[in-house]
Amino acid sequence: MAGLAEWFERFVDQLPNTRIMQFVAAYVLVPFWAWRTPVKPQAGGPHYSVQPGDNVQHMMNLIMPLKDKSAVGRAKAALAIAANKDEIYAGLDNVGTVHFARFVIVGDNICMFSVYDGDFTNYIRDFIATIGSVFDAVVGLVEGGEDVIPSESNVEKFIDWVHAHDLYQVSDQATDLFRDIEAVSGATEITRDLRLLPRDLILQLHVNPNVSLGSGYRAYPGYSVAEVRKQFGIGW
Amino acid sequence: MDDTPSAQTSAAQHPTAQNNAAPDPSASDLVQAIIDDFPDHKPGTRPIHTIGVGVEGYFEASDVARSYCRAEHFGGQRVPVSVRFSNGSGSPVQHDGWNDVRGMATRFHLQNGATDLIAMTLNGFFVRTTKEFIAFTTAARQRPVRKASPWQKLLDMLQLKPPLPDPHPGQTASGDAGTLEYANAHPVAQLAVFQAGSIGAPVSYCRAAYHAVHTFIVTDPDGVRRPVRFAWKPVAGVRNTDPTLPPVDNYLQAEIRERLKQWPARFLLMMTIGESGDAFDDPTVPWPAHRVRVVMGTLTLTKVAEDQAAAAEHISFNPWRLVDGIEPSNDPILLARRDAYEESRKRRGGTACPFSHGAQ
Amino acid sequence: MFDVADVQGNILRGYRQPRVRHLILSVADVTEARAWLGATVSGSGGVPQVTSQAPWDEKPATCFDIGLTFEGLRALGVSSASLASFPTEFVEGMTARALKLGDIGDSSPEHWPSPFDKPDDIHLIVSLYGRETADLDRLQGQALQHARTFRLLGTRDGDNFNGDYVHFGYRDNISQPRFAEIHDPADYPDPQPMAPIGTVLLGYPNNFEGLFWRVPDPVALGRNGSFNAFRVLAQDVVGFENYLTEAAKYLLTQKGVDELLPEGDEARIGEGLSREGALREIVAAQMCGRWRNGVPLALSPDTPNPQPPLPVKEFNNFDYPAASGCPYSSHVRRSNPRNAQIVQRVANNSRRLVRRGMPYGPPYDPATPDAADSPERGLLGNFIGASLGAQFEAMCTDWVNVGLQDPRVTGSNDPLIGANAPETSWFDLVLKSGTTFRLRTLPRFVRARGGAYTFLPSITAIRYLGSLGK
Repeated sequence: MAGLAEWFERFVDQLPNTRIMQFVAAYVLVPFWAWRTPVKPQAGGPHYSVQPGDNVQHMMNLIMPLKDKSAVGRAKAALAIAANKDEIYAGLDNVGTVHFARFVIVGDNICMFSVYDGDFTNYIRDFIATIGSVFDAVVGLVEGGEDVIPSESNVEKFIDWVHAHDLYQVSDQATDLFRDIEAVSGATEITRDLRLLPRDLILQLHVNPNVSLGSGYRAYPGYSVAEVRKQFGIGW
Repeated sequence: MDDTPSAQTSAAQHPTAQNNAAPDPSASDLVQAIIDDFPDHKPGTRPIHTIGVGVEGYFEASDVARSYCRAEHFGGQRVPVSVRFSNGSGSPVQHDGWNDVRGMATRFHLQNGATDLIAMTLNGFFVRTTKEFIAFTTAARQRPVRKASPWQKLLDMLQLKPPLPDPHPGQTASGDAGTLEYANAHPVAQLAVFQAGSIGAPVSYCRAAYHAVHTFIVTDPDGVRRPVRFAWKPVAGVRNTDPTLPPVDNYLQAEIRERLKQWPARFLLMMTIGESGDAFDDPTVPWPAHRVRVVMGTLTLTKVAEDQAAAAEHISFNPWRLVDGIEPSNDPILLARRDAYEESRKRRGGTACPFSHGAQ
Repeated sequence: MFDVADVQGNILRGYRQPRVRHLILSVADVTEARAWLGATVSGSGGVPQVTSQAPWDEKPATCFDIGLTFEGLRALGVSSASLASFPTEFVEGMTARALKLGDIGDSSPEHWPSPFDKPDDIHLIVSLYGRETADLDRLQGQALQHARTFRLLGTRDGDNFNGDYVHFGYRDNISQPRFAEIHDPADYPDPQPMAPIGTVLLGYPNNFEGLFWRVPDPVALGRNGSFNAFRVLAQDVVGFENYLTEAAKYLLTQKGVDELLPEGDEARIGEGLSREGALREIVAAQMCGRWRNGVPLALSPDTPNPQPPLPVKEFNNFDYPAASGCPYSSHVRRSNPRNAQIVQRVANNSRRLVRRGMPYGPPYDPATPDAADSPERGLLGNFIGASLGAQFEAMCTDWVNVGLQDPRVTGSNDPLIGANAPETSWFDLVLKSGTTFRLRTLPRFVRARGGAYTFLPSITAIRYLGSLGK
């Protein structure tokens, strides 16, 4: 019977890699634990901080599901951006706090990834003031977008809506996930078992399928757009 | 006026196991606590990071280093160095391939005297104070360990818990269960325990990143002081062995010998500048990645030292062996290391180096 | 059309009363509280009448204002649909926005004294203005005559101990937004454009072209209302004066100090000042952007007493061209960059605030320095604007702290009010040649000791709140 015991041990060791176990984990275990220990989705965007280094080069990862999920719908989104290129560049130059920005279509989503300085609400508000019409053109194509446009007369709602579509940035230090969970559920005594960290992550990803893994890598952290431009003598 | 702000941690957990009215542990207590974690410790050797290899090379500062720190070794000239790489364990039995923290201790040889920079592969420490250290090392004592039964593993899988890793072949005791218990009761230790649990084994001492962990205060030629943390980044990149393959007990020292015969190994010295509100005196909290990072210079390792007795055994590093331009922060663990390293050196008969206590 | 009599007083035009008392109240009985609000509209039943912005023939002896927190609106039974139409920052309350405002460390809401340590209990902040303390006592008695209506959680008293001078020794209240509907531009020479009424009142165009802040529902409640950041700000006058001395002593050891203050020029800074004394005043002026007497550095960088003398009316008649005698990091410039070149070009005049503040605590006399336990002194500040997020918070987050508006100050905080820590703070003095000189180790001089975001309802809105439940 030693042979059977050994076989069983090896079977169990290999189990996580098998299709059947992956199916069970995904369709039985995760929903079960999500029901047993419900988890609130984390808010998007970078954590608040007063320190200067933490207030420059923020990442925004905006994922907006398109209403029209066909190729035609995606083309409309592409055209909305292309038709407004001048407006977008003028806005970027004059808001002055954006390092990089790009619009990307991924699957059924129109996404905006940018690196910006300073407070999120100031950034969006300044953009509404300068390129509100572009926002309206793009957000009009997005699910739920009609509730918040025209952005110029729905400034507060629009800002909140964008914030809601900005991805949660999983903490850079693994165990800070526990702190994030505490913050959102208001509890101070959550399970502190380190071995449940992977499950906490799984359950968060279950309610929040799109996340940014960490706050991003920066080759020259700590500097604002204007500091860089001034340093290179190209005017700010 | 120079009150350093307290560490920015969430819900600070007070050490529950200690009576706070009791006196702080002495250097001897600290060293003994470590020795007690490794029952097969050999007297005359280091209580931790016992097995190591001495390597020689030189350091050249970058063109901007001097403008941040006026210390001699950042002047730009070539500074000879002695480096000791080590495995974290205090056991005399060598298991290079086992899951373990690695150490890199560097001595910069200056015109008059020397300065040390001691680093390890974890970017944070387990505890904040010496009392917590005693509690932690007590919890980390070796306990018998065996492979979890397949039923236990199944149960873990059903709870979406990764099963506990099997002990290495031949491993009968481990401190892991104790450190896990401690971490679950003391959140400040969780990050370091979590990282240590999955740190693995590097394919080479020259393919790991080493962190000095503690905050130091550097002074530039204009007298401006900045709180900083140092880290060594391997130019060849970080690479670990395949954890699914059986671990090899003895390969790192041969590897570095062969490597350096073929070509030199280089490390970049990165210095991160802290901002007020960062954890200056708390070694358990790494700094955010959004801090300015300065390249302070390049370390080039050229050969394994001929006299390993001198270069790996008798040599005695101390994180307080500093020079003008670098001062320690008020980190309690950093403070404790000054006397603890000296105590350990005396116990094993390591070479003393003339330096005055408390000098910068 | 805009009816000035519908707006509460002190928003468009200040009262210029010498004393204030803020009553911090919690609603004890909803029906009574609503009736009380209704009564304040006309001053019936002995309840004081809320002061409106209707023009005065004669200045009243006392003035009376009402502000409500989100919890207060909720306690009065405002509908949840209506509550949902208020902006997020107001709903969350000032204590939840601490990181945005720089309220960390000693300024953190965790250290705020009662009643600000229980922000959810704070429902109303009622402000009484008058000439003598006896006036305030009388007004308070009238306001709280029925003990069942409110619980009095606490009071804060302030007084103008020396006209417009505040505790750091500066003359304050010089620059305010002027509204075309209220002020005659000829009286206030100022290159800043007249402020649109929407800078402070909800329901009107504001400084952002084409943008409109949401007017809370229903219109009767929201229109002509405003938002206020009420702040109790303790000022470390002793620490400030000590720092000036330290900085002056440090400057005396540096070459280049002669450029800052030529030998023999001390009298130009002030009569009878030593060299160190004169340097202190120069540092104080550069940190603020105005000399202590209010003369702006932008107009008179060399002396607080220019010849010919500058009339007070002219104290705002300046801007910040590229070569300005006012450091980029000065307090008045950081908090209001006027038309200076800033990074966020669209935002130049968009974060202006109406400031109605009054000092509290005993004045500091350098001749008799305080004992070790110096009494708390500071400013009871009201920072009024139509959008807390776009104005007060935006100014605190990116301009006062972090300094994103100008790369030459990015990474530093406002020298007077910023969240400074000595090991990392810095401030650049500007010399005549344009070169800068860096001062360091500035401690934090201003700590928050309480506060709340309040809504300042119009007279119509107060009447509406009084009629809830009927």
